[in-house]
Amino acid sequence: MDANIYLPQLARVVAIHSEVPGERAIKTFRLEFIAGDGFSHKCGQCAMLSIFGRGEAMISIASSPLIHDYKQFSIMRAGRVTSGFHELDVGALVGIRGPFGNSFPVNDWHGKHLVFIGGGCGLAPIWPVIQTAVTKREDFGDITVFYGGRSPRDIMYRAELEKLRGAAEVYLSVDSPDDGWEEYCGFVPANLMEKEPSPEDAIAITCGPPAMIKFVIKNLHALGFQDEQIYTTVENKMKCGIGKCGRCNIGKDYVCTNGPVYSWADLKQLPQEY
Amino acid sequence: MERILDKGRLGAWVAALADWTVLAPALQDGIWAYVPVAGAEEGLTLGHPNTVQPPKGQSFPQREVFFSFDETEDGKPRLTPLVPSPANRVVLGVRPCDGRALTHLDRVFGEEAPDAYYQARRGTLAYVGLACNKPPSRHCFCTSVGGSPFGEEGLDVLMIDLSDRYLVRALTPVGEALMTAGQGALTEAGADDRAEAQQRRLAALAHPQRTVAKPQAVPQRLKAGFGSALWERLAQPCIGCGICTFLCPTCHCFDINDEVAGQSPVCGSRVRTWDSCQFPDFTMHSSGHNPRADLGARLRQRVCHKFQYFFENHGAFQCTGCGRCITACPVGIDIVTVVNQVAAEAAPVQPADC
Amino acid sequence: MINPAELHTRVRDLLEGGQVRAVIGYRRGTRGWAAEPVVIDRPEEAQDLVWDPSCVHNLALYLVQDRRRRGALGEPADQPIGILAKGCDARAIVVLMQENYLRRDEVYIIGLSCESSGMLDEHKLVGGAAGIDPQDLEAVGFEGDQFVLSSPHQQWRMPAAGVMADRCLECRNPCPKVHDTLLGNEPTEREPRGQARAGTLSEPFAELQRFERTAASAAARWDFWSRQFDRCIRCFACRSVCPMCYCEECMVDSIAFTVTPDTTAQEKADRLRWIERSASRSDNIGYHLTRALHLAGRCIDCGECERVCPVRIPLRLLNTKMERESRERFGYEPGASVEVAALLSSFRDDDPNDFIR
Repeated sequence: MDANIYLPQLARVVAIHSEVPGERAIKTFRLEFIAGDGFSHKCGQCAMLSIFGRGEAMISIASSPLIHDYKQFSIMRAGRVTSGFHELDVGALVGIRGPFGNSFPVNDWHGKHLVFIGGGCGLAPIWPVIQTAVTKREDFGDITVFYGGRSPRDIMYRAELEKLRGAAEVYLSVDSPDDGWEEYCGFVPANLMEKEPSPEDAIAITCGPPAMIKFVIKNLHALGFQDEQIYTTVENKMKCGIGKCGRCNIGKDYVCTNGPVYSWADLKQLPQEY
Repeated sequence: MERILDKGRLGAWVAALADWTVLAPALQDGIWAYVPVAGAEEGLTLGHPNTVQPPKGQSFPQREVFFSFDETEDGKPRLTPLVPSPANRVVLGVRPCDGRALTHLDRVFGEEAPDAYYQARRGTLAYVGLACNKPPSRHCFCTSVGGSPFGEEGLDVLMIDLSDRYLVRALTPVGEALMTAGQGALTEAGADDRAEAQQRRLAALAHPQRTVAKPQAVPQRLKAGFGSALWERLAQPCIGCGICTFLCPTCHCFDINDEVAGQSPVCGSRVRTWDSCQFPDFTMHSSGHNPRADLGARLRQRVCHKFQYFFENHGAFQCTGCGRCITACPVGIDIVTVVNQVAAEAAPVQPADC
Repeated sequence: MINPAELHTRVRDLLEGGQVRAVIGYRRGTRGWAAEPVVIDRPEEAQDLVWDPSCVHNLALYLVQDRRRRGALGEPADQPIGILAKGCDARAIVVLMQENYLRRDEVYIIGLSCESSGMLDEHKLVGGAAGIDPQDLEAVGFEGDQFVLSSPHQQWRMPAAGVMADRCLECRNPCPKVHDTLLGNEPTEREPRGQARAGTLSEPFAELQRFERTAASAAARWDFWSRQFDRCIRCFACRSVCPMCYCEECMVDSIAFTVTPDTTAQEKADRLRWIERSASRSDNIGYHLTRALHLAGRCIDCGECERVCPVRIPLRLLNTKMERESRERFGYEPGASVEVAALLSSFRDDDPNDFIR
């Protein structure tokens, strides 16, 4: 019998880490399946997380597929369901359905240099690729990570980013620095321009606020990156996650099934309505 | 398998379908709708224009409960899936446009990640179609969108009106079963009957209908016309209700919500309900960003979904030309006019393209 | 009778002279005979405007749409917007002004009198003596107290009262009382009113009274309304077409509410769900009855909600019931004058209170 595509599995919250405080707080959750086989996923895919009584929200799976013990999600407090997550304690049981969507073609990128450009909460969807790349370090060329937030408080995965140094070149930035800030001050796209990563044999993977993505792509073009070398993930309001409720489409594509991962070469063919 | 059914014997056939719940068109409370009948009904006829609502609710109802949730004694969430086990149903008098529409819904809900709720209802549903000797509505346009007034897609049986009798043709094993059950009311069909049916078919195909101009060029032209100012102009009177989508036999957008019955412990149901891309906040993000914030964008979404996006994905228009949205729109927005105007504006001005 | 050329001239002059920035009116639709709402802003478009018995829409709705759009874009308007308004529509505009949703100087009301006629109800055509299929019609026109209907092959003349909308049969104000300019005259004679009877003008609340006679007991009414609400598919057309339903956050819609970048997560999480989207009997009853209560003293009986309902729920009965309550208990007439406060936001010392227990 086919699994019921709308029925979540249950998962236990085994760890909660507060990344960013404040009104738009971000917390990172690690979920463990409590029964059944769970599911495995590929980089870029997402899952529908449920709090019964509140509803579901589609969240990117932030852990690498190489990790089997848990699935990691970084959730920003934005509304009914995500507020519910922020009120949970370790040990709570939630629902999980997935994995949904397509994935980054990581296997096609063996031998290439990878340039990651993230902003705000956008680091989470591309984190699995970063983790996979540094774990299978010999499969890839140079790894460079650009990441920034509004202020030092808004930098997520701070400790993990520091751990990347050595395996990867890490360039952090903030729009508004505080006294202790020693790295770049300014927007992520500007930091990118300043460091001038080479487009030769390179793939750029970017995710963040829509305005940031727009300027990042513009700057990548200026640096000589072709459309086929630029990858991003998009988001839209979602309900079913499986291309049936009709809500998340961009033109003929449903972001939940044909996306969320797109090369800019493919994304620019779609109606620019997202 | 082809048979003849005298019009006066329709009730007898229905009465013989004891293993099915039979729904037939009736004028009730001022509107034509499919209502359960018990057979042997006095004067049961199929003299209806198309029904106000399509029969899509038989496989895709306005409300579907996915599962109920509550808590076990130790506070663990407990989910009880509620996939329905509906009785076998047969809908009589389904127009070919609605039959074809069912095949489009089958694609959405059946291919890739089959929907168990839809499948349960669909698997127990039969359509007995009635061919349209002439368009039931001035707003019909099935032939422009790949359909036919004598179309057989999605139907289990097709009935053809031959004035005092019907030619009844089985199209699927379920259709054959329905006809076998009703064999007491059905008689042999002869060459004359078949010839007359063919005549009716040719006459129906020749009957004028509203037309979508150059349908084969429409998907490409709608794509080219994405940025047209016409969308906002054509959408201006739109009031943002859901009539067009809810009455459409192929529209399938839905919402999923948790309906809470109690708080301590939390219990309730996760429920699917119809939703509409015409509602203003259908695509509203939690951040307040709305990719389709204005009327023009939402009208464009509906029209392009029917005439471009579905075509790009499946090779056929999703719209089946039933005309209900045109008839029922409170302000007269007419999808045929919209498609024709946008496509005409986007048409290349070249002598070769005539 | 209103001369269409006079309407065109009046509107063109207003636009040319810059007195209004746009005019909301009616034009020929693409569905054949029925008019459709339009907003024009160039003088040469004035000649597209029509005035005939298919001009049923309450254009006050588009004042709400205009205000919403300007609000979203942050565009204050320098000039007023013009609007064609029938007697009923003008009262709707007055209600919007009573509630301070619009200022009097923001709207230029071009009043149109229905004179001794009213709007065509296409449902009455089919069942009527002529057995006309509305889909065959090409045009309908006023002619005194008659309608002229044309199809490609035929023309009919018939007394308007035979096929007029119920709310027109019961209408007290066929000529707008509040206006900036007026076309057409106050009717000097309308037949004496009586009980609802096919083909004649009725007294106000005639349909409501007829219903109350046929469903006299509470049980009979519960049966009737359960049957009606079971058909409701929650398309929200009744709410969408109503100019008075301008709330950004609708209390009887659990899903749709205003979200801006400043809305906090807590506000979204705390939002109460009074009525679910399910078209179950109880949710439907909750939706319709709450909406009717929210329209008490505000609904001016344009009848649009009932006209647009695809499953033909007789919604006027709910709203005219509340209107009659307003009149009988509080002597209040909705939409009479801009200076009068809204019913539910004001009280008088001598308001009746014998029903308060």
